[in-house]
Amino acid sequence: MTLVIDQRPRSNGLTATALLAPATIFVAICLLAPLAILFRYSLNDFVAAKKMMVEAVTVANYIRFFTDPYYTAILWTTVRISITVTAVCLVLGFPLAYVVARTQSRFKHLLIILIVLPLFVGNAVRAAGWMTVFGSKGFLNATLMGLGLIDKPLEIMFTEKAVVIGIIAVNLPFMVLSLQSVIEGIDRAVEEAAFSLGAPPLTMFRRVLWPLALPGILSGTILTFILAMNAYATPFLLGGPLFKMMAPLVYNQFTQQTNWPFGGAIAFILMAVTLTLTVAANLIFQRRSAR
Amino acid sequence: MARLDIRNLAKRYGDFYAVRDVSLQIADGEFLVLLGPSGCGKTTTLRMVAGFIEPSAGHVALGGSDVTRLPPWKRNAGMVFQSYALFPHMTVAQNVAFGLEMRKLPKVDIDKRVEEALALVRLGGYGARLPRQLSGGQQQRVALARALAIRPDVLLLDEPLSNLDAKLRQEVRVEIRELQRQLGLTTVMVTHDQEEALTMADRLVVMNEGSVCQVGSQRDLYERPATRFVAGFVGRSTFLAGTVEAPGRFQTDGGLNLACSGGAPGRAVLSLRPERVEIAATPLSGLDNRLSGAVEFVSYLGSLTDIHVRLSPADRLVVQVANREGGLAPDVGQTVHVGWPASAGQVFNE
Repeated sequence: MTLVIDQRPRSNGLTATALLAPATIFVAICLLAPLAILFRYSLNDFVAAKKMMVEAVTVANYIRFFTDPYYTAILWTTVRISITVTAVCLVLGFPLAYVVARTQSRFKHLLIILIVLPLFVGNAVRAAGWMTVFGSKGFLNATLMGLGLIDKPLEIMFTEKAVVIGIIAVNLPFMVLSLQSVIEGIDRAVEEAAFSLGAPPLTMFRRVLWPLALPGILSGTILTFILAMNAYATPFLLGGPLFKMMAPLVYNQFTQQTNWPFGGAIAFILMAVTLTLTVAANLIFQRRSAR
Repeated sequence: MARLDIRNLAKRYGDFYAVRDVSLQIADGEFLVLLGPSGCGKTTTLRMVAGFIEPSAGHVALGGSDVTRLPPWKRNAGMVFQSYALFPHMTVAQNVAFGLEMRKLPKVDIDKRVEEALALVRLGGYGARLPRQLSGGQQQRVALARALAIRPDVLLLDEPLSNLDAKLRQEVRVEIRELQRQLGLTTVMVTHDQEEALTMADRLVVMNEGSVCQVGSQRDLYERPATRFVAGFVGRSTFLAGTVEAPGRFQTDGGLNLACSGGAPGRAVLSLRPERVEIAATPLSGLDNRLSGAVEFVSYLGSLTDIHVRLSPADRLVVQVANREGGLAPDVGQTVHVGWPASAGQVFNE
């Protein structure tokens, strides 16, 4: 009996280790190791003439990125688009998430499936679908011109507009699901209590619903922002050859230019900017709501 | 505080009436309790008074002015929710201050009234705590303080005690009742707990299937239930099914011929309160109905004992006796004699 009790803590520790190990090993091998290698590459030199990487320790690649307006413009575009997309997703997603969270309908599960459904279609396939809708001879322009509402096709395809619309469509489900799960945990009676105490709906939202939904708002915006910053297929297919965002740029450096050092540097700049903006936004958000 | 008038209030969902044609007048300072089983429409009625549900028909008037079309935030009704619904991200003081801020009172007045309200529910000094740092009973009192701080025209209580444990519930009942009297609050409370209803109310409303069955004092409902439902829901009753043969004569389905008062000839049930039936080991005398039967089941309840007596294959009667020294304590299977005056039973025609 004593023996069993003595062993328990140790066997619990072993179980925990056994449970943690597979995921830890997976993360180490598949995420940390490649990142470490890539970071090392980003400090290497590149001989453009021979298209060859040369061993070195230099920050020249990082300096090159930040001193060339071509690249900083791409970073700025990426940040601007990500912020726009995140803001629009929050504004569009909140009411939808609220309705889904509060509905008593027996079709609630169907509603959730409908929201998730777009995720079943890959980004590339979906972007191809958008191309047929937004193209100059696409569904939208054909319809509007057929109805005589416009006489020249709208320039949507291969513009920033198309990319923003496309990423919003991809990211909205993530925002809605994050918000919905948190709103569902907020007692409906709390809203009614605010009403009965004299708060009109907007005041109730500002004073009660928003602060209580904040964890969901944070996780939803973080998720949406990161996904937008790293979007690849949507900007590549809907933006066209002249439109550039960071993820396609990284890919281009790796495959077209075979410039691994510069590609690696861009990847790390993208990661650092995403992380910094996310953390900064969180701090501002939380400080403001604490007041 | 103000008078509350509910006139012909109804709520329909498709073909289903959650509430049908409810009319009630609650006087200034009166404590009215809506009592009924779950789904009887009592909560829907309360929520229509609060303004959370729009009635399909009828009117609600507070202090003489019609508020039927007003949203809840313009009604000045203080509500205490079953879950208390405290704002979890605000301190106790911020919770209580919320309604006062909505009324745009100066900061000094708000602080003063928050303090008063918290003192009223004996929670002075708890203002800086968060709701989750309080016990259930304390949270309930914060909810009450928050509803009272706005000096509501009417106080609405939605099963306010159902989340408290039994011992605490008895204390809080008395506390709420005393506070209500002291402040002269016009109050409507919803409950399914008849003991709670009986101890707290000035007047009770028994509801079933969306309609009001009976309105009256505790004594009215217990002694003169208007329907078979009320007789069964308020207090306990044994129901014997049978037929009224002629005025004053009732024959049970088990073939017993009983004397009764009232009732029209035809199918009916005879309702008997368990404590109005006399029981003895030897034959009784001087009662309109005298019967005997075997004891089938005995349950000892401390101050009382319930004795179930089989009178005929179809008729079983519950008799309640007070436990005192030398009182009847029959065993299962023993033959006992029971009896009651005709006036003790009440007949409900079907």
